[in-house]
Amino acid sequence: MPAVAARVRSAPATWAFLASGALAIGIYFLLPAHGNAQSVFYVVIGFASVAAIYVGSIRNLPRGERLPWQLFAVGLLGQVAGDAIFAVYEISLNREPPSPSIADAFYLGGYPLLALGVLLILRKLGGQTSRAAILDTLVLFSGVALVQWVFFIDPYNHMHFGTEFSRLVAMAYPAMDVLLLVAFAQLLVGPGGRTRAYRLLLVSIALWVVADEIYGLNVNTYQGGSWIDALWLGSYVVWAAAALEPSMARLAVPDRRRLPRLTRTRLVLLAAASLTAPATLLIERAAHHRVHAFVIAFGGAALGAVVLARLAGLVHAVERAGLAERLARREAEQAQQLLTFQNAQLVEIDRLKDEFVSSISHELRTPLTSIAGYVELLQEEEESPEKLGHLAIVGRNSERLLALVTDLLFAARLQYGRLELERSPVDLRSLVEQCVDSARPRAQAASVQLDVEVEDVPEIAGEPAKLAQLLDNLVSNAIKFTPRDGHVSVRLTAHPDLIRIEVSDTGIGIPDQERERLFERFFRAQSALEREIQGTGLGLYISKAIVDAHDGRIGVNSTPGEGTTFIVELPVTA
Amino acid sequence: MTDAPLVLCADDDEDILSLVSLRLRRAGFEVATAADGEQAVQIARDRRPVLAVLDVMMPKRTGYEVLAELRGDEALRGMKVILLSARVQEGDVARGMDAGADAYLAKPFKAQDLVSKVEELLSQAEF
Repeated sequence: MPAVAARVRSAPATWAFLASGALAIGIYFLLPAHGNAQSVFYVVIGFASVAAIYVGSIRNLPRGERLPWQLFAVGLLGQVAGDAIFAVYEISLNREPPSPSIADAFYLGGYPLLALGVLLILRKLGGQTSRAAILDTLVLFSGVALVQWVFFIDPYNHMHFGTEFSRLVAMAYPAMDVLLLVAFAQLLVGPGGRTRAYRLLLVSIALWVVADEIYGLNVNTYQGGSWIDALWLGSYVVWAAAALEPSMARLAVPDRRRLPRLTRTRLVLLAAASLTAPATLLIERAAHHRVHAFVIAFGGAALGAVVLARLAGLVHAVERAGLAERLARREAEQAQQLLTFQNAQLVEIDRLKDEFVSSISHELRTPLTSIAGYVELLQEEEESPEKLGHLAIVGRNSERLLALVTDLLFAARLQYGRLELERSPVDLRSLVEQCVDSARPRAQAASVQLDVEVEDVPEIAGEPAKLAQLLDNLVSNAIKFTPRDGHVSVRLTAHPDLIRIEVSDTGIGIPDQERERLFERFFRAQSALEREIQGTGLGLYISKAIVDAHDGRIGVNSTPGEGTTFIVELPVTA
Repeated sequence: MTDAPLVLCADDDEDILSLVSLRLRRAGFEVATAADGEQAVQIARDRRPVLAVLDVMMPKRTGYEVLAELRGDEALRGMKVILLSARVQEGDVARGMDAGADAYLAKPFKAQDLVSKVEELLSQAEF
């Protein structure tokens, strides 16, 4: 109930008008039948509705978009005018107007305006000028026209009329209903927003057409005050309610279905229209009616032709879709080929790059092999301590050069992508111990005390050579940056799911602002440059790459002047 | 003819070739030298050394090609081969071992490492 209440509040004018309209219709039937009061009341209800439509169009629509609803107002005003003429005749002359009369002109003039109003709304929605939409309209029109002719228009040909003109006027009413029926059907399947105003408008048109058709079937027995009047009056009131309902503004705003799709409603409607010819034939036969053979044959043929055209359109659409699909597929295949070609090129570039790095490595290492080899030879043969000292310098420097070449090539390869590992089980404990042992001579030479503290740790899957390189980098760095009589200690500890390696020194430390850039390629700490500590700025870059490749983390804690600790954490995979 | 086992050394770099030969002679081997791959195959066929130290990057025929040739020769079965190369990427080493080398030494090498490797391989071989 609250929901209903909220809705009623949101559109009070609509509901108020509907309620009072229903009341007024009730009162209409309580008034004495065929009395003057009834006639006046009929006109009053109609006129109030026309006024409400006009007010609604001004209230709910911006200037420039009011035309369809103002056409409704004028069209219905025509009906009310006709009613008024009837009323005048009945009250003042106590008889109905002659047939045909000026009232018919008003009545009939109203229909095209009502249909035009619906047409304008549909046009605003778009998609109505497409071939499919027009053909659908033709199908509906043919079906409706056929039925109207056979059951509602042609019967007038077999009735008695004072003049041929009055016969034609009588026939014009069901003919006009064809317009309203087609407009109704188009509105039903159109792409308009399914608002409350939309439903009210459909109901009002339906009431009007139904009233007309029933009147047409009972034209000889109809009298003012009949229950059929309730339908016409209801149509006035509901039409006005639709105009007062704010959602009427969205009637001409299309929902998602921009183009006429073959919705179920549309299909059912088209099928019904297409089946009118055989259905009419059967009904006439069953009712022992005179069969309208020519009309049915002609109508059926027209329907068949239009349906065929519609079908051809569908087939063409399917063919076009198929063609578009083939085109798209061909484009996709071409894109695929291009991709394959580019991939092959990338693979080739990758190969050339590897070849290049490998060749440079070869070219640089070959002369170093001779230098190191012959220096080693000379060192074995030389006895003069001074010359041995000189040879040691050459030897040390050729080793440094080799280390530099190795690091540069490592970094060059890293630039092309992540380091690929050749994993095998690694016992970090023995790896750490070996590394510390091989660093001892360097520590002694620098007068740095080198401690190691290891515990048993689980095996990890990694590349031993790379991990050894990592440890060597960290320990060498620590020794390099620690002044004489300092300490370097290496700790290896096991933790849940990870192994931690800590390399601490009592060296010069790293200032905060440099810590973030420490692992960048070619980065060198200011203190290292000032103290002329040798290095390329590649060691930590390479170390981080090795740790990353093992899915680990590397970090640093440091207090300038007191020391630095590098921490590596490697995950233990089950 | 001496009793010393014959070792073939092949390298296109003269300096390295003399260094390797010198080291091996001092260790008591007889050494035959080749400056390229073709020569190496020729000497191996003619003189049947017990071991060959082959540089990988040689003109005419690479160390891999020489190795393949030697491995395909029934008469040279049992000959040990050490590949010596300045190419030390993972792929290079794996390729050398896959091609049937008994050892792969990276340049630059320590004299002691080379001599120990030669002696180790020969001690496994049958005389």
